[in-house]
Amino acid sequence: MARFFGRRLLYLLPVLLAVSLLTFLIASLLPGDLAYAILGDQATPEKLAALRAKMGLDLPIWQRYLHWLWGVLQGDLGRSFRTGELVLNAVLDRLPVSIELMIMAEVMGLMIGIPLAILCAVKSGSAIDRFFTGFAFANLSLPSYMVAILLIFLFAVQFNWLPATGWVPFSEDPVGNLRSFVLPALTLAFAEWPALMRVLRSDMIATLQEDYIAMAKAKGLRPARILLVHALKPSSLTLVTITGINIGRLIGGALIVETIFALPGIGRLLVGAIYARDFIILQGVVLFVAAGFVIVNFIVDMLYGVLDPRIRHGRA
Amino acid sequence: MTRSGLRLGSIACSLALAAAFAAAPAAAQKQGGSLTIGLELDIPGFDPLKVGVYDTAANIAASLILETLVSLDDNGKPKPRLALSWSSSEDFKTWTFKLRPDVKFHDGTPFNAQAVKWNIDRQKDPKNNCRCAFYIANIVSVEAKDDLTVVYTLKDPVVNLPALLTRPDQNQTVHSPTAMQAKGDDYNRNPVGTGPFVLKSWTAGDRLVVERNPNYWDKGRPYLDRVVLRPLPDAQSRFASLKSGETDLVWADESEADNIMRARNDKTLQVLTYAGSGAAVNAINTKVPPLDDVRVRRALVMALDRKKMSQALTNGLARPATNPYGDGSWVKCKDDGALPEDPKKAAALIKEYGKPVAFKMLFTATPRGRAAAQVYQQLWKQVGAEMEIEMVDQATFPPRAFQRKFDVIGWRIVDFPDPDVQMFANFHTGSPVALANYSNPELDKLLQHARVTPDEAKRTEDYCAISRIINQEAIWFWTFQNTYYAMAKTKVKGIPKLYGGVIDASAAWLE
Repeated sequence: MARFFGRRLLYLLPVLLAVSLLTFLIASLLPGDLAYAILGDQATPEKLAALRAKMGLDLPIWQRYLHWLWGVLQGDLGRSFRTGELVLNAVLDRLPVSIELMIMAEVMGLMIGIPLAILCAVKSGSAIDRFFTGFAFANLSLPSYMVAILLIFLFAVQFNWLPATGWVPFSEDPVGNLRSFVLPALTLAFAEWPALMRVLRSDMIATLQEDYIAMAKAKGLRPARILLVHALKPSSLTLVTITGINIGRLIGGALIVETIFALPGIGRLLVGAIYARDFIILQGVVLFVAAGFVIVNFIVDMLYGVLDPRIRHGRA
Repeated sequence: MTRSGLRLGSIACSLALAAAFAAAPAAAQKQGGSLTIGLELDIPGFDPLKVGVYDTAANIAASLILETLVSLDDNGKPKPRLALSWSSSEDFKTWTFKLRPDVKFHDGTPFNAQAVKWNIDRQKDPKNNCRCAFYIANIVSVEAKDDLTVVYTLKDPVVNLPALLTRPDQNQTVHSPTAMQAKGDDYNRNPVGTGPFVLKSWTAGDRLVVERNPNYWDKGRPYLDRVVLRPLPDAQSRFASLKSGETDLVWADESEADNIMRARNDKTLQVLTYAGSGAAVNAINTKVPPLDDVRVRRALVMALDRKKMSQALTNGLARPATNPYGDGSWVKCKDDGALPEDPKKAAALIKEYGKPVAFKMLFTATPRGRAAAQVYQQLWKQVGAEMEIEMVDQATFPPRAFQRKFDVIGWRIVDFPDPDVQMFANFHTGSPVALANYSNPELDKLLQHARVTPDEAKRTEDYCAISRIINQEAIWFWTFQNTYYAMAKTKVKGIPKLYGGVIDASAAWLE
């Protein structure tokens, strides 16, 4: 187990290096120049050159990258070119919002997806199964910005049950905090559950054909026990994989939802940094998102081991 | 002016008070309460060296925390704020301001002439490379004659300087020099001014909270205990937050015409509208063919049907413009020289030119930019001109303009108390934003004359002549006048005219 753990951990470093190098390259390929953005209408060639030199923008890209990397290794992610805010603070301030949103969205997605998957697997081929798989498909086709506006219209404007926008820190008002996350998390969950439900449903249908299930039935075990204990666990490998990938995606992928619901998360920070050519913030956010993605997938790999002992023992 | 003044019973005081109350709305202001304002954008910060230029969100926040020497009254004329009075030399190159005594910054630092000088010097210091310096390039120096007298020396004369010092922007707001020096890089997110509200907390991307300044120099004000500013980037959810009561007041613009219409028909809401001066404009690069030919330029302008464009883009809300000044300006022209909207004549001009007319137009890569681009393309296609749409993001847009890397580009003349600054910058030969690459001695002469003439009627004549030249030469064209909007609950009172699109809640109260 320890060796498995250590080997997985070693993958983390090259992935983070590659991701940060790629963002650095892509960011430097974007049209637009930070020195120009700062100087604006008074940019003369001399002033531009002076400012670029002052900010180190005139160095070759590999030097800038190494310089940045050296800082990161010492825990210094730099300061925003534009606002003077420390990158580490900017990211850490907003990260909890995005993580809470991600967790709530995933939990809601699973809460809708798993029961429906079990129901459809048991009744596979029936009218109920056809209805819900069709519904999932229709649901998947709705873009999140539309779902968001519909939810706001219904729950915030018409019924006035939940806030349309904004966020309260959990430490100030726990209930208010959760209330402010319901609609955005639900919006994300609407895009999550169809995929979760469909993979679990088909895996479960396959599992239910297995001999040991027939055996369990023959022994007279209660159907609920067969489904939840004997069938669910072996059927959930793909589900866990998808959940892991989704979580990674949601860390930085909630851009639209964070914008519509005005949540101060990492997605909004990223969009702002791109518009303002604030590369140093961009780099910091991407580094955190990449690290989060890798760590979540690492946890998923660990979970495989728990769910399927054959993987743990390296025989799969 | 204080209430105890009334008890003194002196005639002069009562008269002054009567005047003050006459200017204020009839309803009595109520003390207390909290106002939440929904903005479109995140506030980038307050240090001019960091942010360069304040956007509307920063202006709105600054109008609560920071103050300017002069304010605009309801008629768009300058009135005292941190400065009590002013006078100019005969050539309008030296202006002297007497400052308000006994004013302190929120950190206790006294407000005085040295503080004003320090702020301007810091922005102008070449070492600081501040983008903000461009806008005060005309100021040679600011000197503190004594504690409460500050003297502005200008390169070129300005007849209307006090009015130009009224916007709560990167240049005119006065910050505490002590706080700026002490906080360094962190000042940007911790502004300290003399304003009616003090910064209480600021969660980036979520909300900026200001609270009543108990030591504000204007006793009895502000009326509100607290103002909360929240960036709500999505127009639909911003409107929903107003409807559901999470915000009391939201910024709006013409691209959300549907919401503005809905708010007008809603008894619980009011729409604040300000028909400002200036216009949405476009510059044509007169150095590149085929746009170097005046017939082609005129054809492009005459092909536009602004009413139709307004209908297509803003549900008819946007007001067509025929000159750069607009209804909100004191410049009113009998003849502004506008070309007729006449697609037939336009097509004939293109034919007369003889060669194919193809060019590119630069738009911002936003939904608004995309919609506008398609409308222009269609209108020009109908008269035989091929326009290729080029979309770039907002960070790339200004550099392209300053480097003249465009054929046609969209721009804006913002609402401002005096036309001189922008007209001179946009049209005088050699100015960095004279985007059309056009030079005309007659135009330069008129611009020069208008800036040194104190008489408004004479200046109006100059500016109308300027408009006629630009319209006839078709080097720039105007599409819509500037209209600024805010939507609010009906209980929100005391918001002055939205000068420059700034929602100034510093004297607001709740009914």
